[in-house]
Amino acid sequence: MTRFRAAYGASPLHLLAVIASFAIAAYGFLRITESPSPASTLIYFAAAVVAHDLLAFPFYSALNLVAGRALAAPGRERATNLGVAPLNYVRVPFILSGIAFLLFFPLILGLGSERYEDSTGYGVGVFLNRWLLLCGVLFAASALLYAIRLRLAASGEGD
Amino acid sequence: MRSPRLPEQPPPGPTRPSFWRSPLRGPWLASILGSALLPLIVVSAVTGFLSQASYNPGLGHNSVLPGGGLGWDVFTFSWPTDPPWLYAFTQGLHVICGIAAIPLLLAKLWSVMPKLFEWPPLRSLAHLLERASLALLVGGSLFVFFTGLLNVQLYYPWSFNFVPSHYYAAIVFLAALALHVGLKLPSVRRAFRDRGILRPLRADLEHTAPEPYEEGTTAPLEPRAPTMSRRTMLGTVGVASLGVGLMAVGQVVGGPLRGLAWLTPRGRVGDGPNGFPVNKTAAARGILPAETGTAWRLALDGGSQLRLSREDLLAMPQHTYDLPIACVEGWSTTQSWTGVRLRDLAARAGLADPDRVLVESLQKSGAFRRVTLSSKQIADDRSLLALRVNGVDLSPDHGFPARIVVPAAPGVHCTKWVGSMSFERA
Repeated sequence: MTRFRAAYGASPLHLLAVIASFAIAAYGFLRITESPSPASTLIYFAAAVVAHDLLAFPFYSALNLVAGRALAAPGRERATNLGVAPLNYVRVPFILSGIAFLLFFPLILGLGSERYEDSTGYGVGVFLNRWLLLCGVLFAASALLYAIRLRLAASGEGD
Repeated sequence: MRSPRLPEQPPPGPTRPSFWRSPLRGPWLASILGSALLPLIVVSAVTGFLSQASYNPGLGHNSVLPGGGLGWDVFTFSWPTDPPWLYAFTQGLHVICGIAAIPLLLAKLWSVMPKLFEWPPLRSLAHLLERASLALLVGGSLFVFFTGLLNVQLYYPWSFNFVPSHYYAAIVFLAALALHVGLKLPSVRRAFRDRGILRPLRADLEHTAPEPYEEGTTAPLEPRAPTMSRRTMLGTVGVASLGVGLMAVGQVVGGPLRGLAWLTPRGRVGDGPNGFPVNKTAAARGILPAETGTAWRLALDGGSQLRLSREDLLAMPQHTYDLPIACVEGWSTTQSWTGVRLRDLAARAGLADPDRVLVESLQKSGAFRRVTLSSKQIADDRSLLALRVNGVDLSPDHGFPARIVVPAAPGVHCTKWVGSMSFERA
């Protein structure tokens, strides 16, 4: 048992579970290969990992870092922000409208619009307007909350 | 089995624990996100397999999977007709949970990102296998969720066939997920035991402390001062998930709630009795007015062969039922349909208790231009060849001169512009 662990790196139960999981996954892949263009499915599988882990993640992390440097420090500009960090009032509506865009970008950008119109009888133009309106509402609500926080902080300092 | 070529100490960059400075990352955060995500994935998976079953893939050319798709993974029971909203419910859940899961999935991936760069990259055979399985888990989850998401928006930036790829990639993903859940359960239990399941949510920004550093976990070695509390972070993710989930709810429930479908594709309805959502317009399917005018005849076969005009059908006993049309894309609409019972048509064609009926549309293209309905579906009183909806004739886009409406069947089995029906015995 300890010899097995030393050679393999985990318990025999781990190995059994791994084999079971890979067997089922292999079955799934095998069935995909019966579909008309299996290679492209597998390429997209790998592309999804690269797109997320090596492109999207570094990109949004860098954005977050820049935003953090520019907006986080509550002490530095005390005169204007009264110690209330503006960072999250920018970050939260940005994240929410960004997620909405990430999920519905085909409709927002009108990609595949012909198929959409054939299927539904409606145009896709409305979705860009709707997304922009959503952004407007989210950022306006956030600005309002920030203004209220500033006001409260100011009246607190006056006491 | 440490590789002799790799240095003991990680090179500068993301392989060093000091690189990852968020004070929020740690086993508790990964555990709570995983625990929120898992039920959504389970519901999406179960309803996804049920959707395949709803097509009655054992009948005729109904299967949408290669080779008939009749592997061990496909249910082959006869899909029920009761309750009539069954498919609207299961497929609505499939799309709602799938969409709502995506913000949680992205947050979960963020919370465990240091693991991608852990050092040494391979410690043992067990570690190698586990990491290979994680590649399937991450690739599979992104693939399955985003192909589904783009499919409901009718956008196909790929060359593979959506249904089999989405379906079998889900099996790959679920196999990797089952292993992951099994292997991580002890860490999740430990994180919840050490920190409480919800206790970290009580801390505001001032009281937000990093999870203690421990080698091999995602807790930070050199955390930065927090700029966001855990509850603000999870609240933002939760609002995103709930928000897009409600947009998906709006297009299933319909009625006054359809307005919730702000960015989901089926939020709009037109005016009048035929104003409800359409799947594939008559123009898009190449249905010509000449084919559906007075010259149209329904070719009926069930031993005897008949050609019935629309007037012939209207002269038969008419029945009206409120039934939903429920699309695989996760939207539905309940309307009041009037027409002839399928079993009355079977009797008219000379076959009292048929085992199935092959329904063919006038449309010349599309995977569902012909569909086989089961004996259970034919026998249900509410299964109609509908001629009218909400008190008026069907519009061309809703299948004039006649369309099938079967309770609890997927929308694509409610064939529009019906040209022929062949009742058969097994």
